[in-house]
Amino acid sequence: MLPKNVYKELEDILGAENVTQEPAILDSYAWQPALNLLKDAWVPRPEAVVLPQTTAEVQAIVQLCNRAGIKCKAFSTGWASYSACGSEGVIQIDLRRMNRIIEIDEKNMIAVIEPYVCGSQLQAECIKRGLNCHIIGAGPNCSPLASLTSGWGYGWTGLYTSYSNRNPLAVEWVLPNGELLQMGSLGSGCGWINGDGPGPSLRGVMRGWGGAQGGLGVFTKCAVKLYPWPGEEGAPKGMRGMMLDLDMETPKLHKLYYIYSPSYAMYAEFAHRIANSEIGYIHCKLTTGGFMSVLMPRAIKKIMKSKAIRATTKALQHCTSIALACHTEREFAYQEEVLRKIVEETDSFIFDWSKLAPRLHDTLLWLFHRSIPPAMIFRVGGNFLTSFGANEMYDMCVLGCEAGEQLKRPYIDKGIFIEDTGDNTWGGIYEGSSGWGHIEECAMYDLRTSRNPEARFDYLDETVKAVQEKTLGFSLASVGGDSYKYLGPVMYNYHLWQSKIKSAFDPNYASDASFYIPPYEEVVKIMEQEDKGRMFGATNLES
Amino acid sequence: MAKYTEFENIFGSERVETGKLALSEFAHDHSFVAGKTPRCVVKPKDVDEILALIRLANERKLSLIPCSSKPPRFRGDTVPSVANAVIVDLSGMDRIVRIDERAKVAMIEPGVTFDQLQDAAHAQGLRVVMPLLPRKTKSVLGAYLEREPSTIPKYHWDMSDPLCCIEIVFGAGEIFRTGSAAGPGTLEQQWASKQAQKSPMGPNQTDFLKLVHGAQGTMGIVSWSTVKLELKPTVQESYFVGAASLDSVLGFTYAIVKPRYTDEVLILNKLDLACLYAQNPSEIIKLAGRLPEWILMYSIGGYKDLPEKRVQYLKLDIQDQASKMGIVPVQHLDSVSASRVAELLTHASGEPYWKLRLEGACEDIFFITTLDRTPEFVAAVNEESQRAGLDAFRIGVYIQPIQQGRNVHLEFNLMYPTDDAAMVKKIKAFHKAASKRCMDMGGFFNRPYGLWADMVYKRCPDTVSALNKVKSIFDPNRVMNPGKLCYE
Amino acid sequence: MSHTQLESMRSDYEGCSRCSCCKWIPHAQIMSWRYAKSCPAVDRYNFHAYSASGKLNMALSIIDKRSELSDAVASVIYRCQLCGACQVSCQNYRDDIDHCDSFHVMRSTCVQEGFVLPEHLDIIESMKRDDNTMGMSKAQRGDWAAGLDIPDINTRKVDVLFHAGCRYSYDGKLQETVRKWATFLKKAGINIGIAGRDEACCGGRAYEIGYQGEMKNYAEDMASRVKASGAHTLVTPCSDCYYAFKYLYPKNNLGMNVKVLHTTELTDGLVRQGIIRLKGTVPMKVTYHDPCHLGRRGESYKSGWNGDVKLMRPVQFKQTGREGIFDEPRNLIKAVSGVELREMERIREYSWCCGAGGGVLEAEPDFAVWTAKDRIEEAKTTGAEAIVTACPWCEHLFAEAIKATGDTMKVLDVVDLLELGLGGE
Repeated sequence: MLPKNVYKELEDILGAENVTQEPAILDSYAWQPALNLLKDAWVPRPEAVVLPQTTAEVQAIVQLCNRAGIKCKAFSTGWASYSACGSEGVIQIDLRRMNRIIEIDEKNMIAVIEPYVCGSQLQAECIKRGLNCHIIGAGPNCSPLASLTSGWGYGWTGLYTSYSNRNPLAVEWVLPNGELLQMGSLGSGCGWINGDGPGPSLRGVMRGWGGAQGGLGVFTKCAVKLYPWPGEEGAPKGMRGMMLDLDMETPKLHKLYYIYSPSYAMYAEFAHRIANSEIGYIHCKLTTGGFMSVLMPRAIKKIMKSKAIRATTKALQHCTSIALACHTEREFAYQEEVLRKIVEETDSFIFDWSKLAPRLHDTLLWLFHRSIPPAMIFRVGGNFLTSFGANEMYDMCVLGCEAGEQLKRPYIDKGIFIEDTGDNTWGGIYEGSSGWGHIEECAMYDLRTSRNPEARFDYLDETVKAVQEKTLGFSLASVGGDSYKYLGPVMYNYHLWQSKIKSAFDPNYASDASFYIPPYEEVVKIMEQEDKGRMFGATNLES
Repeated sequence: MAKYTEFENIFGSERVETGKLALSEFAHDHSFVAGKTPRCVVKPKDVDEILALIRLANERKLSLIPCSSKPPRFRGDTVPSVANAVIVDLSGMDRIVRIDERAKVAMIEPGVTFDQLQDAAHAQGLRVVMPLLPRKTKSVLGAYLEREPSTIPKYHWDMSDPLCCIEIVFGAGEIFRTGSAAGPGTLEQQWASKQAQKSPMGPNQTDFLKLVHGAQGTMGIVSWSTVKLELKPTVQESYFVGAASLDSVLGFTYAIVKPRYTDEVLILNKLDLACLYAQNPSEIIKLAGRLPEWILMYSIGGYKDLPEKRVQYLKLDIQDQASKMGIVPVQHLDSVSASRVAELLTHASGEPYWKLRLEGACEDIFFITTLDRTPEFVAAVNEESQRAGLDAFRIGVYIQPIQQGRNVHLEFNLMYPTDDAAMVKKIKAFHKAASKRCMDMGGFFNRPYGLWADMVYKRCPDTVSALNKVKSIFDPNRVMNPGKLCYE
Repeated sequence: MSHTQLESMRSDYEGCSRCSCCKWIPHAQIMSWRYAKSCPAVDRYNFHAYSASGKLNMALSIIDKRSELSDAVASVIYRCQLCGACQVSCQNYRDDIDHCDSFHVMRSTCVQEGFVLPEHLDIIESMKRDDNTMGMSKAQRGDWAAGLDIPDINTRKVDVLFHAGCRYSYDGKLQETVRKWATFLKKAGINIGIAGRDEACCGGRAYEIGYQGEMKNYAEDMASRVKASGAHTLVTPCSDCYYAFKYLYPKNNLGMNVKVLHTTELTDGLVRQGIIRLKGTVPMKVTYHDPCHLGRRGESYKSGWNGDVKLMRPVQFKQTGREGIFDEPRNLIKAVSGVELREMERIREYSWCCGAGGGVLEAEPDFAVWTAKDRIEEAKTTGAEAIVTACPWCEHLFAEAIKATGDTMKVLDVVDLLELGLGGE
């Protein structure tokens, strides 16, 4: 329980209706089964939950925590276990009441948002103005601010809208010690237009490839880059239906295709050619197996007993979903011609949904733009985890596909993961011509029925080792948590530098760093231990 | 204080320079920054020597100033602010370690210059993303580390582009590699698994590159970097739009930049275009007299797939936009050919350096803003120039869309003769006043050279506090380029 | 304390991935920042516990013995209109959680353990005393039909039993609407009858506020009244009653062996068959509000699956809300010449609740009006002069909200437009 005087002070700051210590209500913040790499879906219960509405209130809360020696952890939408408290005695800061779109500068393609604006909301307002925003693969229910400042950031439209790390401009940040940092142009009184400088960019402290996941204070506002949404029509019109029965008119010059390549080598070559051609708006590997599981969760196991079906799904696994979105008919004609040329030259096959199944085409196109399909993974079991997915040249990413499939198969056969044909990969190329990208390997499971849910940690251990052995980059499974104990020493001791940043910016250790890194002295002690424990499956995140 | 023998033990005597002439070259540059004479210049050849030097500096409390480019230098960032500094001249580390044609990445050492890299890139059908006619001696790494804007905004996804990864020795005396170069795995292992050190992010939850980017050498010394290359166009057409007023081209600029139609795209005033096109003062003045006040220049290109068709559709789509706005793109303005300018943009400036051609000296004012605000800044600077009793004609203006058009780098080139002391005094005063005026109007001076540092950092004490924390981590003994930026 | 009933839904609680989709309308349908949200409770009170996910989490916490039911927890459970928007959104992506059923179980548990609200007790007392939820006298139940000359089922058999419902029967401001409905159907030649003062509450409200056993009594009473009337069809203009008949009764094995229609359903058929001809022109811009209990909650209960593992439940047994009544009221509105129907953003399965359901109107009137005001704001964005609906609870609350804000928007029932469309005033 929080000391009475601390609780009272929170009430004084926020109003009694915006603070709670009621156990069952607190537990609604402690049920975190998604992307949970702990042994229990119940994570530590917060000490209290608070609902600030302004930056000043957030500062007051954080300053109080510093004075009182209590940790705090902020989240926006709070999906996935790394948004939760990592230990007892942490105040959860629920930023739900900070939910405004502050401004949209159409001309200069910049929006300024608060934490509880969700991806759909921002995209909806952008599309009205002929613009778009980056929505991450986790879905439009997530907060762009949270992803840009604190999360990962892959998304379906990454080919055109990049990755979350690359999308913030200026940021308003309540540091772990309660001071306010206005990063970039904001701090210089120049508005929200730029996030870097003066001099070195503090965006480097804020996050790297992954974010601090609540371990470095609270981000209260963020300027985000927007992108053109080509065409005059704006959002799809006349929408009826809900999901796969959607019926609507999508913009004329937006089209979706599936490309089936004969091998991983050709699949990679296709991606390489797309990057070089500078066409496209969406590029993503499609998982035939994953989609089948989602569409037929009850039947998939039976179906996959058929050798013929297995062989067919295997043949179809080198599949790209690619969407064009063009400003003019000329641009569209050019892009489609180039696409078809590349398809032919990579011995691939093009499935033009707009001609074969127009209504399904419009549905899929919109669902991809809005990043909706990932939530369907819940149909299959409610949980999933991810691995591989390092961020580098796409040729390397493709190598991970086969490795992931091989590693996962035994776990499926043992009933630990749900059948997905082994191929449940997702990811594409980013930033137009750059050619770098990611492919992650997902595994679905149901905590309620999995034969041995804890075996998933063994799988993750294997994936991190495989990634190291085959030199496949720094995998998604390695961000945050305890992986630094093993990877830090072989990667220029990034963990020590990172922990020094933690110490410098959080002298009173007031920000719960369970998914970031402890302060330097603590990390040094941990590294001196002979048995550093396993990378995944800790029961208690705080050592 | 380290003895010269200690330096010679690391570098060998032939790479430790103590001659007066050599030292005086580093004591000042073309900026107004007043410098101190260094005690020596050392010329490392690899990262081990850099590491040894930095460790020695920590032991002996030396001041190190990394410098990648040969002279002339312009920003004052490599001019020692303290006495007895050691210049770390990296210009001799000039290997192009590797070009990965498929990944479109080059791994380069600090001394590699633009023409050197461009020629190597062209040989593989690739191109360097160039800043605007850098001087011949300019280091590619130095330019990118210091955020020199590139002329192709569609490739500018983030402020650190086109930099990817770096190998650096931090001021604390530790080697580090950023981004995907950090591993796991050696570079050779990474290449074997088809990596190319292309991802600039991380490793893990810190973007170490961003902490070095824009740091004016105050965090450490970079021994190599990977930089993005792009495909060299196989077909290209270039155009101008001339205009009497800057306002009249802004809408069109937005219309062609935002949908990523163009390759190179920039706006110059007549003076800047004349300077980069003509070769001597009289030609420059004559040409400038015949050009419109403002010139938007852009190129469109085709690469490997249906290049002619790409150029064709872009041309027509851009023409549609132009017609809507009553604008007429042309391929020549007077004697100036857009395609020739496009060609010039692919390489470093010829000699003399274009900014020095008119008067022999040039001081720049530059900052970040948005395209729609550029006319008000131009008007303000003109007012200040009148107030300072200067001829506005001598001020070149360069507007470079960056970050795919979300920002612009707005640059004023103040050209002046060095042999006129009164003029020099006026220029200095004007530089300060105009800088302050632009700062007050919200121009974001994200590259705080010289006197800007004080002016800029006074406005953001929270940033100063945070940067000092960062400095204390990566250069706890303050050996790296002391006196620059905002460190205590 | 053992919570056997709560425990029965454990799998639903544990299935929650905490994605928060239950707080938004389905994401494909979000067209603006302002009208993206679907859950009045969490929108008003903000703590995650108020959302569907949060309530499931709380229930799991209780059965995992991590916490206990308390006044504060009960307050969260009752501050919910049971509008079902969360279920629609969540079930867009998955098949294995039945939110409203879970909330019913939570409320029933609250009642069993004595966590009751005095306002809800008043409802139950009124039902026991006078067979209605409104605290009114049973003797006045049939007064709404005075002078309409509609057959009394006590005196003769009819084809269609017309069930007015408690709100329509007793709310003086709304009686005109139910009179219009009854008259309309009679004029259309439908052989309808009413039970008059013998009509009793459907019992649905009791179920929704946790008194599940009470509904059983009323359901049995209803069934016998239907049988006695000889009717093959039971029609009602009240969406709450409609939902009780279509979902709650069959779910609890309280069948009535009669076809159940809402008045809009029946009337839509009559218009399409040409039995009713709308000849008048009514130049009016309107918007239509989908009542929760006619729309997504008006979907018939899908019986026939008795498995344990909902992940294995075939999709045809999933209560997605898609088979509710959405088109019929719209068809009727569009059938009136001159009326321009302008849709809001949150419509059909993902309509925003009016705020009245689940006992909220009675126990948390401020919250109810707050919810209704949000809907009126949304209606105004369409430029409509009137908000049209097909439920007395919605109509009542919209009128309250408009009164509170001093707005000029009209509140109409579908039958008001139909009557105008016939050529009347």
